[in-house]
Amino acid sequence: MNAVELRGVTLQRRTQEELTYDLKRLIFHSLTNRYRKPKRRTVLNDVTLNIAKGEKIGIIGPNGSGKSTLLKVICGILTPSAGRVTVDGRIAPLIELGAGFDPNMSVIDNIVFYGVLLGFPEGDMRERVPSILRFAELEDHSREPLKALSSGMLARLGFGIATDVHPDILLLDEVLSVGDQSFRAKSNARMQQLWTEHSTIILVSHELEFIQNACTRALWMQDGRVALLGSAAEVTASYRNSAGVPPLLPV
Amino acid sequence: MLERLTPLEGQLELPQSRAVATGLERYLDLVRILSSRTLKTRYRGSILGVYWSLSNPLLMTGIYSAIFGTAFSSYYGNSVLRYVLATFTGLAVLNIFSNTTSQALPSVVDNGGLLNKVRLPVSVFPLSIVASNAFQFAVGTLPVLCLIAAFGSRSLLNVLCVVFPALSLLLVTAGFSYIASALYVFFRDLPYMYELVLFVMWITSPIFYPIEIVPVRVRPFLSLNPLVPIISSLRQIALTHNTPDLILIGWSLLTGIVTLAIGLAVFHALRKEFMDLL
Repeated sequence: MNAVELRGVTLQRRTQEELTYDLKRLIFHSLTNRYRKPKRRTVLNDVTLNIAKGEKIGIIGPNGSGKSTLLKVICGILTPSAGRVTVDGRIAPLIELGAGFDPNMSVIDNIVFYGVLLGFPEGDMRERVPSILRFAELEDHSREPLKALSSGMLARLGFGIATDVHPDILLLDEVLSVGDQSFRAKSNARMQQLWTEHSTIILVSHELEFIQNACTRALWMQDGRVALLGSAAEVTASYRNSAGVPPLLPV
Repeated sequence: MLERLTPLEGQLELPQSRAVATGLERYLDLVRILSSRTLKTRYRGSILGVYWSLSNPLLMTGIYSAIFGTAFSSYYGNSVLRYVLATFTGLAVLNIFSNTTSQALPSVVDNGGLLNKVRLPVSVFPLSIVASNAFQFAVGTLPVLCLIAAFGSRSLLNVLCVVFPALSLLLVTAGFSYIASALYVFFRDLPYMYELVLFVMWITSPIFYPIEIVPVRVRPFLSLNPLVPIISSLRQIALTHNTPDLILIGWSLLTGIVTLAIGLAVFHALRKEFMDLL
């Protein structure tokens, strides 16, 4: 059984021009017969992909090629218009640091809140609070409102909570590294630990070098389609070729 | 940036793997944590803040009574006090309804950023607004309504039965909250229109005027307002010496259930399109 299976996944979304739709215009346009059905754009086109358990797969491609959309489909934020997504195991995104923080709540409340959003029971999160505070080195600030923290402290907290998650499948949109020099070492260690420990990792990144070194396979997305799927070295090399980037010199 | 994967130097303490909350448990956790966040930021830890929510209906009751109390008292057994109590019960219902639905209206759109990052059941956002206001109603307004019922009916049965119109109010409010929050995703000018909806519901509820002054031919239209059966039932229970009218209670509960069902149906029909517009 694969960890993730995508079968002919196609996703169509309403185009951006429809985003400012309002009731007034809908009524006027219907009255004057100018109403058009919202246009749809194909964002993912017939993507088929099997990711085995324990695989580390990197997704590369130009901006707007559907990389992040693919992650959203895998973790269930977006439902495909056609095709099938099967996921075996607990899945968690390592989301953008700080999404879901509330500046007016205390640090402790934010930790619990964030954890519940990520899918953990409230009781468990309360137990985890001390160790997360210790990791983020924020024990002295636990009762302060979040807005009293510096941006570096915020990043440490976000990283501490987000990497405290232990899913079977980890989704990463760009590799994270935060904080000052001493914390950076700590966060790198935690990332490496996630890497060695988690069975399956799906990473979207523009860091070709990192993908080549850290991933077993790579997927090249182009205009919502799978352009190439193969070993990380092979895919990154041909992507570099097509993008006009000189190949990585052998170390 | 994580440069290169090298073997770990020195084992870091490992966060323990834990069970992921499932289905209903997660849903309830989310509603609880979102509504407690709403209450915390609204009242900054002071429970007294809840009673601040009574200031609006109390003030409005005072104004209506001063202006209309004498003129309309003949419809209330020549008692200005009865007019005051009838106006307050009506305003209490309308106040919780308009506050909650107006707060729920932007709840899905406001959390659009979050919905694009984490998989969440979208309906927790309007529901948590309803839950936080239900709590506020239960500790703030409901005890006052029970006191009025004790004074107005002098019967314990009537005081206990206040819970039925309160429940109906909660259902109607939840139904409207679902619809408003779903439509706002598509129509960002909805708040202006919704002001109008609230005004219509306020003026068609016989809150500060006796229903008798409305022409008989117009009255059936007033009963299209789902708050009318709730206010009628609440006044019958709290302000008369009669035992609670089961037909009025049943009618208000039915209105609540139907409104909530429509609200849920609309929300789930539109939900598929949400993510393209958030």
